[in-house]
Amino acid sequence: MNKDLADFSIKYLKEKGVDYAEARLESKESNSFMMKDGNLEASSFDQGAGLGIRFLINNNLGFLAANKLDKVSIKAGLDKALRLTKRSARIGDKIELSSEPISKKSYKVKQKKDVRDIGPDEKIKILTDLDKATTAQHKYFSLSDHLSKKYYINSEGSRISSEIPRINFFYLMTLIEGDQSIQRMNQYGSTTGYESIKNWKLENNIQNEMIALKKNMLEGIKAPTEKIDVICAPEVTGIATHESCGHPYEADRMLGRESAQAGESFVTADMIGHKIGFEGVSVVDDPTLLGTYGFYLYDDEGVKARKKVLMKDGIINEFLHNRDTAAQMGYKSNGSSRANNFSMEPIVRMSNTFITPGKQKEEELIKDVKKGIYLKSFMEWNIDDKRYQQKYVGSEAYLIEKGELTKPVKSPKLEITTPAFWSSIDGVGSNLKLFAATCGKGEPMQGIPVTTGGPSIRLRGIKLR
Amino acid sequence: MMDHLKKGLSKKVDDFILIKQEADMSQIKFVNNKIVKTGTESDSSISIFAVKDNKIVSTDLKEFNKKSADLILNNISNFLKVTKQSENYFGIAEGPFKYKKVEGLFDKKIKDIDEVDITEKGINAALENAKKASGTFQSSVGKTRIITSKGIDVEEDHSSLYFSLKALVSKEASGHRTASARTLSKFNVEKESRIAGEFAKLSCGPKQGPKGKFDIILSPLSAASILGNLGDASSMFSVEAGLSFLAGKLNKNLGNFNLTDDGTLKGGMGSSSFDAEGVPTQKTEVIKDGILKTYLHNTSTAKKHNTKTTANAGLVAPDSSNIILEGKTGNPFDIKKGIYITNTWYTRFQNYATGDFSTIPRDGIFLVENGEITKPIKNIRISDNILNMLKNIDVFAKEKEYITSWEADSPYVSSNVLIRNVNVTKPTI
Repeated sequence: MNKDLADFSIKYLKEKGVDYAEARLESKESNSFMMKDGNLEASSFDQGAGLGIRFLINNNLGFLAANKLDKVSIKAGLDKALRLTKRSARIGDKIELSSEPISKKSYKVKQKKDVRDIGPDEKIKILTDLDKATTAQHKYFSLSDHLSKKYYINSEGSRISSEIPRINFFYLMTLIEGDQSIQRMNQYGSTTGYESIKNWKLENNIQNEMIALKKNMLEGIKAPTEKIDVICAPEVTGIATHESCGHPYEADRMLGRESAQAGESFVTADMIGHKIGFEGVSVVDDPTLLGTYGFYLYDDEGVKARKKVLMKDGIINEFLHNRDTAAQMGYKSNGSSRANNFSMEPIVRMSNTFITPGKQKEEELIKDVKKGIYLKSFMEWNIDDKRYQQKYVGSEAYLIEKGELTKPVKSPKLEITTPAFWSSIDGVGSNLKLFAATCGKGEPMQGIPVTTGGPSIRLRGIKLR
Repeated sequence: MMDHLKKGLSKKVDDFILIKQEADMSQIKFVNNKIVKTGTESDSSISIFAVKDNKIVSTDLKEFNKKSADLILNNISNFLKVTKQSENYFGIAEGPFKYKKVEGLFDKKIKDIDEVDITEKGINAALENAKKASGTFQSSVGKTRIITSKGIDVEEDHSSLYFSLKALVSKEASGHRTASARTLSKFNVEKESRIAGEFAKLSCGPKQGPKGKFDIILSPLSAASILGNLGDASSMFSVEAGLSFLAGKLNKNLGNFNLTDDGTLKGGMGSSSFDAEGVPTQKTEVIKDGILKTYLHNTSTAKKHNTKTTANAGLVAPDSSNIILEGKTGNPFDIKKGIYITNTWYTRFQNYATGDFSTIPRDGIFLVENGEITKPIKNIRISDNILNMLKNIDVFAKEKEYITSWEADSPYVSSNVLIRNVNVTKPTI
């Protein structure tokens, strides 16, 4: 990595009189493979580097992304970026950044099976083996990995180097029987080398899902329409927590910065301390968990990452901040600023967001339900742009009668407001499970690796469709 | 550099495509009437698609020097030695071709625009009726050159402008519009921003919307994130993968409308003179008078299915260019009772093959009674099946809009459309 160029950028911007400057030099090696119905449709490898530079001049924020990595091009790019930012000043917002400690750190995620040491043939074999081991009319698999090396420097003296690998597997399966069909889409991911693939038990897990979904398609009944109880298994708990606790607690949404894109939030800055859910529910966002898909130790503003308790015992406790939102709301940044790659600006993002486990076993949650639905997995979901009303449609789901799972249920629909969701919970299981996901936000769109998850939770008195 | 790669690949592989893309871009993000970020980017890369013995690999070259190019050529050879053959590969297009220039795709004046001035004009137009405006402005000027192993060497200049503005009177009263164009003369930021402001004003004090079956009027922006899925669904790749609600529907009647994919559309956001294989673009009637006539193909999928390419090649799979949806024209608002939806987001499918989905209206949502917008509503969802909705398309307004948006990045061209009997749901608690 040509770290000198990042250093040069900061020096050059200082000479130009900026108030603040930071540079992110990132090089990335990546591979991806896509298989459709057993046929390898596409394979790619990539190697590239670029520089993302942010600066404040008279408190107006400017950004340059460059993949021509030479001093002449960087200088020309910065001059152009400075001109545009200065011109914008007449209607520019004055940006302040929260004061943060200077960080000097170098860290590297150790890999047991380095993504660079596993050849394309081995990676393709993972997909061909999976194709042989699973039964469905249509199978779409995608396997990818990358190794990202980053060097971050800012004008305050922070310098952080990191080396982070990630692997990811996505699948979309279709089962067809006569005029009926059912689909399943899911993702696995980790911040590790290829050693994690074995632990994912893809062949076993996916084939078991196909067997269960086939039964659901052929034997599933309609969901009851009267008020019943709902057990959300970890996958459904995870998506609901991500969508209706993680996103609305992003401070940039509250301040309107994502208004025209992913929207705002029904949560307002003065709601810290407001009771929103069952007292047994707490939600954390923790990027420091080694191996998780949303792992990092320093964010893209050079702030040390830490666990945030977003909801504590049902009470709104903390929001997700970068240095801009923290300064606006009178806090310190909690290290939640991330960019998809060097060419994107860092914005407020979740990392690994989940409900912390309770004490009850899942069986105990189910045992105490006279009539209800067990939502094991989901396919369709959405939530409004203020994160106030959400919908999850069950994929694998079962009827609960007198404390036992009895029959499969077809596509039960949980359509509920966010306050009702969190206050309907009356039981939190001990069976914590995490799921990799890709979260979209920003314009241009940035798909960032995150983890959703939690234990099984029980909701009382819910009307499904 | 392109010639060096061409020479190197000619010795090593059976087929190749080189696509060099260069672009200078700028972006302004504005929030609550103020610019909060300006950005510039200069990007250049060469995408490489190479095939030997039906083994396919793709990669990008970003550093334009001989050493990097030789390294990537070597890596391609090594990769092709160990990768697996594709049974679905049937070749790329045999050139050369004659090209008819598509008009209105490049405007050199965009290099010298005043982005701040345009942004300010948009904000001010919105503030005639609203209190806040937030959004983005993006401009891009660039060039694309394609060289293939089958005798194609063609290039084209391109430019684009995109403005997205959400106007707000309060948190619950908002309107959203976008303006997209390839040339300055077609880029009307103030008009769209003013409409966004008017929607915001009309949205004040929304009440919980009803559930049930309703006649729905979708604005082009809202339809782009629902009916715009016709583009992906038309791709032969989606059809083969079980990801298309149009699979198995060839020559069947899907409703009372026409769907055209037109890569030659003058000034179209998805227009170009050639596709990713260098085949001259064309206008393809995908659905004519409700009958599905064809899927979208590249050369390889076309050969496999014994038909001709529709010039929709992407590097891996066929992609739509500009999706144009039209049909019987009339006044969509000529209804007794219904709902007018000006924007939607978060369209998600329970089953891509059957078309079961839901989506969430956002920003201005209005009850329409006896042909008039009467009151703003909120917190509803369209929960339906896209094939049912297509069957229930009634009339289109005359004035078409070119849409690209944050939610629907595939270019979509249509007008306000009336769809009968659409299922609307709301939260149960």
